[in-house]
Amino acid sequence: MSLSTKARAIVLAFGFMTAVPLAAQNAGIELLASPEYLRPDPFGGIVVADNVAPDKVVPERFAPDKVTPDKLAPDKVRASASSNLLHLEGARGGYVSFHLVVKMSQPGPYTLSLGFDRDQGKLQADLFREWFHFTESDKQYYPDALIPITLPYHSRLPEPDNRIAAQTAQAFWVDLWIPRDAEPVAYAAQAVLEAGGRRSSVSIELKVLPAVVPDEDVMLMDHNSYGTSWLAEDYPSISGKLGEGFFQSDVFFRLIHGYHRIFYEHRGIFHQLGYGHAGKVGPEFAPVLEGSGRARHVTEWNLYDRHYGPLFDGSAFAGTRRGAQPIPFVYLPVNPEWPASFLNWGEPGYETEFVNVLAEMERHFRDKGWTRTHFEVFFNHKKRYMGFSWDGDEVRFPADNRYFLEYGRLLKKALPPDTPVKFVFRADTSWDMEQQFKDLAGVVNMWVASRDILSWLPRAPAMLRQRGDVIWFYSGPPVVTQPASTITQFPIEGWMWGVGGFVHWLTVGAGSDPWFHFDGGGTALVYSGDRFGIAGPIPSVRLKIQRNAVQDLALLASFTRRKPLDELKREAARLYNRTAPADWWNPRPAFATEPTYNWSGMALNAATKLAMSHLEHIDPAAWARVRQYVMLLAAEEPKLK
Amino acid sequence: MKALLLTVMSLVPLGAAERDMTRELDEVARAATIMVDGDACQRIVTPRALDYMFKKDPRDPWVDGDNYDVNDQAFIAVKKTLIRLSHLASFPCDVNLWMPIAGHTDKIRVVIRNVNEMSQFWPWGKLYQDMIPQMKHVLETGRRITVAEKPGWVSVLAPVHDSLDATVALVEVVSQTRLDGHENVK
Repeated sequence: MSLSTKARAIVLAFGFMTAVPLAAQNAGIELLASPEYLRPDPFGGIVVADNVAPDKVVPERFAPDKVTPDKLAPDKVRASASSNLLHLEGARGGYVSFHLVVKMSQPGPYTLSLGFDRDQGKLQADLFREWFHFTESDKQYYPDALIPITLPYHSRLPEPDNRIAAQTAQAFWVDLWIPRDAEPVAYAAQAVLEAGGRRSSVSIELKVLPAVVPDEDVMLMDHNSYGTSWLAEDYPSISGKLGEGFFQSDVFFRLIHGYHRIFYEHRGIFHQLGYGHAGKVGPEFAPVLEGSGRARHVTEWNLYDRHYGPLFDGSAFAGTRRGAQPIPFVYLPVNPEWPASFLNWGEPGYETEFVNVLAEMERHFRDKGWTRTHFEVFFNHKKRYMGFSWDGDEVRFPADNRYFLEYGRLLKKALPPDTPVKFVFRADTSWDMEQQFKDLAGVVNMWVASRDILSWLPRAPAMLRQRGDVIWFYSGPPVVTQPASTITQFPIEGWMWGVGGFVHWLTVGAGSDPWFHFDGGGTALVYSGDRFGIAGPIPSVRLKIQRNAVQDLALLASFTRRKPLDELKREAARLYNRTAPADWWNPRPAFATEPTYNWSGMALNAATKLAMSHLEHIDPAAWARVRQYVMLLAAEEPKLK
Repeated sequence: MKALLLTVMSLVPLGAAERDMTRELDEVARAATIMVDGDACQRIVTPRALDYMFKKDPRDPWVDGDNYDVNDQAFIAVKKTLIRLSHLASFPCDVNLWMPIAGHTDKIRVVIRNVNEMSQFWPWGKLYQDMIPQMKHVLETGRRITVAEKPGWVSVLAPVHDSLDATVALVEVVSQTRLDGHENVK
């Protein structure tokens, strides 16, 4: 399968870009472009997961009915006789992305460059080499990890470090960043491949619209992780040198901040849980405590402040395109063993230890001016891990809710009523969600809900928002063997539901050998840059696709100034997967009236099948169609002025 | 032969630091046999949880864990005793509770873990596991045994009796010569 045959038909169906006249295929070397949702393979084709039959991409009955198809294809192909011509359109404050593919029929060196024809203005281009991971599950190659490169880029095929003997194609991810203050005009650029004295190029035309992507997202994409021990394993070249000093070193904290930065730059946030299921707290996640009972108090903030200070005052994000901002949410180390010893649970000493230390923390945060971050009291433990006798995470047995009520009381006692520091009580909820929403009202005010069970509670998000609660939902990253566009389902689903955020439950666990024996990346959206000499994380294709969807969604939601939200949702749903907003919800199953501890996992799966069936097979063009709709609305913006 | 082998294992030469640690851990373990209430231990895990513990269903892969439940009064009472016992040592140590499973003599389960999240035997996340030979020895003989199989780790296993003087559980009193502040923070 070559990009210039079947895949080109798909590309045309996208209404997106690139056509390669045979004449331009320069005697064994070729530079091509493909849409972000069509991931190249190392042999000149498109990965099977993204390579569906053209008639499956945009069925006739799916053609938009309120706008004409030509209007809905602003990034359309204009195949000129002499060159590849890529037409892109983007709003300011956002990215436009695509793949460039270097194809060479014979092994050898090559050079890739990209330059703007005229004035580049404030536009910036970021290029990344795409690593082809060999996945164990299907014995295929998928591009995902993105290694930053500088231009001109000199290398050879087969790419030496990727070790694919028969490799004839190397893919590159291109991000074109359009700053908020970029001039809204048309820009032109050329990507050029040179090899063996021959040359092949792709012409890029980017029309920058006056519309600006809002800074605030309608869906806050959260990327979760646990502890920091994995950093020592993922960065052996650093931790090996520093030995036992690694976890107190500046480079260690820079690494942590690097993870926050990469997710922030991709319109997301990063969470690191700092304690275990039996209450062990990592040293950098909590101040040092001494004493017991009335004498228990904080003695040392050093590691905590080195870890969190730059995150709470925003300085960790200096120099980023989105600007220096404090992180909006963070886990506290609070658990049944911290700050109060569980030895005293139920006794006056427990209350005294808990209240005094929480009050100290509140004072410290207030003194430092850390008032823009939400500090989460959150219980992650499960009784199945034998640390404690109740489930803090995903309560199944309703009797456990009494512990939440008690901690709510303690928290209220610890905090001044007029504190400017934003403490929130977070619960990650599944089985007992419906009851918890009622029984813990006014106690828990941040909910991270199971996608499955929330799917039959359509009134819950609005009800929770109305009473001032935060409501997010959770799942995990799609593996690379699924279509590239699969990851876009989470932001759009959350927006359809009226939910404010989404948590990928684990995003830094790429497995023991992601490079040559990959597990698919179901727990990773970034990779360690260590093997490439980079002291920090590198992004993935999936993270880039997610970012672009989130920015498009932010722009789409901003059009509520002139279109009803329901209309925007209706059209987005129809374009995305031929559904109506109501299709994104499930009926409440009969068993939901039974005690939650009697529910079965099987029944749960069956109850959520209907809505999930619409998201099982996201076609490669799903988000491209939504994006086209967003661009169409964005293009209309100036007419209003 | 097995008893002899276990005795030999318990006498694996230890460094000076491990010897001091072992002496203290053994003192804690000895006290644990006296202090831990075996009847309360038997009330911790609910019959329902034990019933589900061995259920396997590929359509419901978490059916065992999802139905794990405990009687929190018994759990908390025993856990507090274990915490107090751990404070007898002059260094961080955990006292974990392990119990056999009726009808499954070849299996063993951890029932209570503690704040340092240390164990020489627990594969993280398991509801039950294959019987540890040294634990079987303790349950059968009622004698304490020291295990230092993993470098830098020392566990003393000691029996827990009920009111009928049957050995119904055991404690693992455990520490490490070099504590890892980051392990098991997850």
